[in-house]
Amino acid sequence: MIGTSSALIGAVVLLVLILLWIRADSASRHGACVLDEWLPDQSDAADLCPPEFVSQIFSGQDLAFISRLQSPDLKRHFLRERSAVALLWVEQTKEAIRRIMSRHLEASRLSADIEFATEARIFLQYAQLRSICSLLFLLIELAGPQRLHGMALYTDGLTQRIGNVLRELESGSRTREMDGARSS
Amino acid sequence: MSVAVRLVPVQEAYEDLLNRTLSRISCDLGRLIYLASTRDYNTGNYYHEGLAGRFSLDVARKALEIAHRKAFYRVSALSLEDLASNLEAYLRSSRENPQVFLRAWQKLEPYRVAIPTEVNLTVAQLFTSNLRLALAILRFRQKLSH
Repeated sequence: MIGTSSALIGAVVLLVLILLWIRADSASRHGACVLDEWLPDQSDAADLCPPEFVSQIFSGQDLAFISRLQSPDLKRHFLRERSAVALLWVEQTKEAIRRIMSRHLEASRLSADIEFATEARIFLQYAQLRSICSLLFLLIELAGPQRLHGMALYTDGLTQRIGNVLRELESGSRTREMDGARSS
Repeated sequence: MSVAVRLVPVQEAYEDLLNRTLSRISCDLGRLIYLASTRDYNTGNYYHEGLAGRFSLDVARKALEIAHRKAFYRVSALSLEDLASNLEAYLRSSRENPQVFLRAWQKLEPYRVAIPTEVNLTVAQLFTSNLRLALAILRFRQKLSH
């Protein structure tokens, strides 16, 4: 009996999560379409958002101000607008991580001195970031961006760190290649 | 060395722009709208006659581009409360009928042309989203006062 009811609860939770995922996905796709029509330059679309703006998007300060106005319509409008921006940030972060990793994989294929431990650590951080982004995608719809401030800042910090580590690795291997070419 | 030599006049032109022109505009949003208006819609190039006369066309163009991007990030970083105050100040300075102004801004969204090229997509989205909200806040306040 307990087994059946927990399986039922599990199925309902899974269904709710799938529905939320679909809703968040379509909301972010809709947002991207709207942006496509008017933004002047999309070439740097995958660049990382400056950290102070990540903090602002997920902060509770604006919600507190809107709540003081005591208008349910304004509050609904605010939550809808801010969730769309937060979802776009998650999309952008995912895209930036993917680009950083694919650039790194390309460089690794050409490099002669690959350290297994470093590569494994980078891959684990990459997998962690992908999972957090997927979780954020769901939680933004479920709880609103204002409750996810810490998680968003952690994600942003980790993304910046991975980017920096990979940049250092790339410049290090370029220097070694140049030294090797000079000595031969 | 050559880059440093080229950057000095741009810095000077930028400071000249701040002191002579931008300091006369009362709010950050007004400065942003003004800087966006110095950009040619057809080419994306910036032009300011006085600045180009004092420096050169290229230096003036670069200084305006930098000032525009900085003004954009400053306005995008404002809290909603501060943005609503900025919008109110800009509305007053326009001397238009507030109702007509708010309706036109909500319908036409002219602030979208104030977004510089090569800015982060999320920040651009935050900027338009916050302006939509600031407009809704002013309309709400207007309804309350009536």
